[in-house]
Amino acid sequence: MERSSGHTKVSPRVGLLAVAVAVAAMMGTPVSAADEVTPERLLNVDKEPGNWLHHHKDFSAHRFSSLKDINRDNVKNLKVAWTMHLGGVEGGGIWSHGGLEGTPIAENGFLYVTDGWGSVYKIDAHGGRGNLVWKMDPKTDHDWAGAVSCCGVDNRGVALWGDLVISHTLDGRLVATNKETGQVAWQRTVADPDKGEVITGAPLIVKNMAITGVAGAEYGIRGWIAATDLTTQKEVWRTHTIPGKGEPGSETWKDDKSASASGGGSTWVTGSYDPTTDTIVWGVGNPGPDWDNAYRPGDNLYTDSSLGLDASTGKIKWHYQHTPNDPFDYDSVAENVLVDIPGPSGPQKLSLEADRNGFAYAIDRTTGKFVWGLPFVKKVTWTKGLDAETGKPIEYDPNKSVQAYEASVTPSRTNMETDICPGNMGGKNWPPTAYNPELKLWYIPVIESCNHIKVEVSDQNKLKPREFWTGGGPSQNVKITGSVTAIDVTTGKIAGKLETPYPNLGGMLATPDLVFTGQPSGEVMALDAKSLAKLWEFNTGGGVNAPPMTFSVDGKQYIAILVGLGGAWDKWFIDSTPELKKMQPGSMLYVFAL
Amino acid sequence: MMNFNALPTTIRLLFVSVIALNVSIGFAYGQSAQPPTADPTDAGKAVFKRANCMGCHKWHGNGGGGYGGDALSLRKTELTRDQIIETVSCGRPGTGMPFFVRGAYDEVKCYGMTRQDAAALMPPEGGTFLRPKDIEAVADYVLAHIKGAGDPSYAECVAFFSNASRVCDIYKTASQKPDDASAATGKSQ
Repeated sequence: MERSSGHTKVSPRVGLLAVAVAVAAMMGTPVSAADEVTPERLLNVDKEPGNWLHHHKDFSAHRFSSLKDINRDNVKNLKVAWTMHLGGVEGGGIWSHGGLEGTPIAENGFLYVTDGWGSVYKIDAHGGRGNLVWKMDPKTDHDWAGAVSCCGVDNRGVALWGDLVISHTLDGRLVATNKETGQVAWQRTVADPDKGEVITGAPLIVKNMAITGVAGAEYGIRGWIAATDLTTQKEVWRTHTIPGKGEPGSETWKDDKSASASGGGSTWVTGSYDPTTDTIVWGVGNPGPDWDNAYRPGDNLYTDSSLGLDASTGKIKWHYQHTPNDPFDYDSVAENVLVDIPGPSGPQKLSLEADRNGFAYAIDRTTGKFVWGLPFVKKVTWTKGLDAETGKPIEYDPNKSVQAYEASVTPSRTNMETDICPGNMGGKNWPPTAYNPELKLWYIPVIESCNHIKVEVSDQNKLKPREFWTGGGPSQNVKITGSVTAIDVTTGKIAGKLETPYPNLGGMLATPDLVFTGQPSGEVMALDAKSLAKLWEFNTGGGVNAPPMTFSVDGKQYIAILVGLGGAWDKWFIDSTPELKKMQPGSMLYVFAL
Repeated sequence: MMNFNALPTTIRLLFVSVIALNVSIGFAYGQSAQPPTADPTDAGKAVFKRANCMGCHKWHGNGGGGYGGDALSLRKTELTRDQIIETVSCGRPGTGMPFFVRGAYDEVKCYGMTRQDAAALMPPEGGTFLRPKDIEAVADYVLAHIKGAGDPSYAECVAFFSNASRVCDIYKTASQKPDDASAATGKSQ
């Protein structure tokens, strides 16, 4: 909360709040107690179609809204309703500026958004305009966190619980802010930047817990997923994504130098939750050092895996690993989309994941067994394909401790410079997919890419706190483009692909007959949900680096999206898209309506 | 309000030394307090930050591999002052080290090459252009504080960032660390 200390008059923001509350009361909008976000409401978000209560819209991570006042017939009339400039553009650590990657949360006509440094903004969206109710600035330690955030000054948004707004800061805190006043109610340190840990993801609220993931696999962390009890503010469980000595999976680290202690396995994208089995499904990132896989012989569990966790205990129920002994930086941090599909012997309970390695996977989320997989990018060079039975890359040899995959292109100690496709940003990075449960189409925001990798042989002496631990690095020698690729989940086949001039760095929103997305060159667009034909486009003039969402207030549907190019792209990958060098740092919320 | 940083370096230095003089007069003779002394390379440190040298070489200058490619260690560099000035001005062809002089490889000669000669080896353009005086200042800062230095220390880190951030905590020796671990946890604030 920004304070007005030193001034005797009431701050304008408090005045705004008073007005907002008064207006809300007059309009009969439920306030305070009625706005408590309960576990029941979080389980039944379908009953509140005008709201967007979870980071991924629902526990299944569909990012599908049933709102259809904006539809295929009228979307061409979509116009800017209002905008709001936000802050957080300033730099820190190794970063010259912050960016916006967040998904707004909407509840009863109020939006909650974050900027890259973790400030939370509550915005009253009633009356066809946006009014800032309060801003909570957590005073993130810029240099401490910014020096060890590999891939940008990012914060992907908040969650709601009770009368609190729950958020993370890059410097490792979980912050609970009073929803009405904007005052910090309490905060708790979850991650430690002294170890290279930072937090960029939005929290997932499951029952009375906030689930937190961590970033830092490029700095030699040992990854984890942690649950904080929001009533006691204490940690309930913390599950490391890399097993400790003697635990199941530790046998997949076969080296003699404790590589697992700094083995990576970040968890920086918000997961999903299946209440019927009380299972949290969460993706795990790359092993470290990224490109020197001979340093860490073995499959390196649970890096590059999807995990099913018992929500009450954090115990790992099942895992599915996509790229064992990964030499490519092919994280599996992506959100897992939980989908039920009619099958020959009853409904199939699937978990869908679009992996950095360029393949889309469906696994059985009750057992963790592979169901189908296919490449969703145009070009894959690191493997000839997936084994139809196991889904493992066909070159994978469980008897080998260091995997070579397609050896002519795979980075290794004998192939120190090489080009790989997809490039190390992956076929899809963190930007979320969306799933239309009516059409059973799954929309992937794609980076169509290759890049150049140089391997550096790692040794223990190079492992230092807060210093890069990557065993090499990428550079950009070819142009990178993008696409929106739709997969028919009933067949596991590609149903359509709309190619775009630039990589998709923002993610997807699905509505009954439309798909919304953006481009880092500034465009926000609406596509036909079936044909992917472009039906509407607006150029925001800033790089789109965040997913669109939709909500309704006063009976009217709106589309909202944060705009401000930051993240990894414009520092590390910009040479593959030289035209984007002209995009200026910015920080702005766009809201569209008919 | 006067913008101190907008003043020319020489005038700024003059100011700083006058202030330092005043302060030293303010302390009575015989007191042990050390008067703050102006570091003539502070201007170069400001350039090091402003031109985002620290974005790849890090505050300590050791650089290192990682996403940004492999920024060379300025601590271990063997470059002379003139060579540092040339490298900052013209970048390093074929690497990610940008050039920071306006017109490099066009009207300003770099390694005897034009933009056409450099072709695919053309280094990237810096995020900001620097004047020759700025480049000399940053070279002098590197020579005075970074080149030849050993492992980064807590004192160096605090000198760089001042005390506003926890960025330096990991360089503290055991005796410098607070025994109250709660500083890093719990509900402070």
